[in-house]
Amino acid sequence: MKKIIICTIIAAAFLSACGTTNTVTDIKSVAYKGMYDEKPLAILLMPPINRSTNVEAKEYFHSTLNVPLANAGYYVIPTFLSMEILKKESAYDAELFLDSPLNRFGEVFGADLALFTIIHKWDKSHIAGSVDVSVEYILKSTRTNEVLYTRIGDITYNTSVSSGTGGLIGVLADMAATAINTAATRYIDVARACNTYTFQDLPAGKYSPSYGADANEFAGEKVFKATLSNK
Amino acid sequence: MKKIMLFIIAALALGLASCTTQKSLYSWANYPTSSYNYLKNSDEKSTQELIETYQKIIEKQEGTRGVVPPGIYADYGFLLLTANKTEEGKALLDKEIALYPESKVFIDRILKMMEE
Repeated sequence: MKKIIICTIIAAAFLSACGTTNTVTDIKSVAYKGMYDEKPLAILLMPPINRSTNVEAKEYFHSTLNVPLANAGYYVIPTFLSMEILKKESAYDAELFLDSPLNRFGEVFGADLALFTIIHKWDKSHIAGSVDVSVEYILKSTRTNEVLYTRIGDITYNTSVSSGTGGLIGVLADMAATAINTAATRYIDVARACNTYTFQDLPAGKYSPSYGADANEFAGEKVFKATLSNK
Repeated sequence: MKKIMLFIIAALALGLASCTTQKSLYSWANYPTSSYNYLKNSDEKSTQELIETYQKIIEKQEGTRGVVPPGIYADYGFLLLTANKTEEGKALLDKEIALYPESKVFIDRILKMMEE
């Protein structure tokens, strides 16, 4: 009997290690109904809107948005090419388009969706070795101007590097690792982790093998909190 | 008793299986850092670094789809166009269109813009 209890504890530990604590949410085809109705393919990245006190946060996000979206099976309009066109068309300030019709972006870029990213907060704590980020993602249809997907997350990212080896050697290894792990790389990782974590529940796009097969999976929470770290 | 044990083992295995990281559709080499540095600095060093990353993504593609990810041929081609390597650049833009026909709309536009 004892054996069973021990096994159960181990099993529970394993399961919780990678489990996201799920409160009851809708399935994706309900939560993101428009995504399944419109079947968007091409996504235009609008330059992130930075409302935080950190001026660099905009670039950290802008350079890390395309990877998780492409990996989810979408066509992401190339970052630098689209920046160039947006600048030439005097449309580089995404704030101006947040509440206005997006049909023109559909015509110019062939984009089905426009991704707005609003960085509400980016606070570094050197003592805690962490960054507190609040970021909102809004995918809007360029055809209907409807919001098809939106999530907002309060994310604490632990930036301290640990080798996991204790003792003096461990401490030295940690110091070296932290030195190599330059500030910029570390903060790119923060933005990347926020994007990847949030878009985990994005319905799969056309280029993904899961395309059309994930409608009954659960969507994530619309407003969420998470603690992430570099591993 | 045995049944319970079996059940626990099965649950454990399932838990572990769901942990394993799935392979991505594409591999990106050092893309996040290179693109950030280029976005931030656009100097010779960051441009060179970005070109090397593009080449690595194209030549050593390890994703499950086995094709170059969206936008890589196009952004690389565009970079070459701005460096006056017109033929090489246009060839890459054509590759993007061949692989991702949805890109034709804005690639035609950028070519037109560059002629102006």
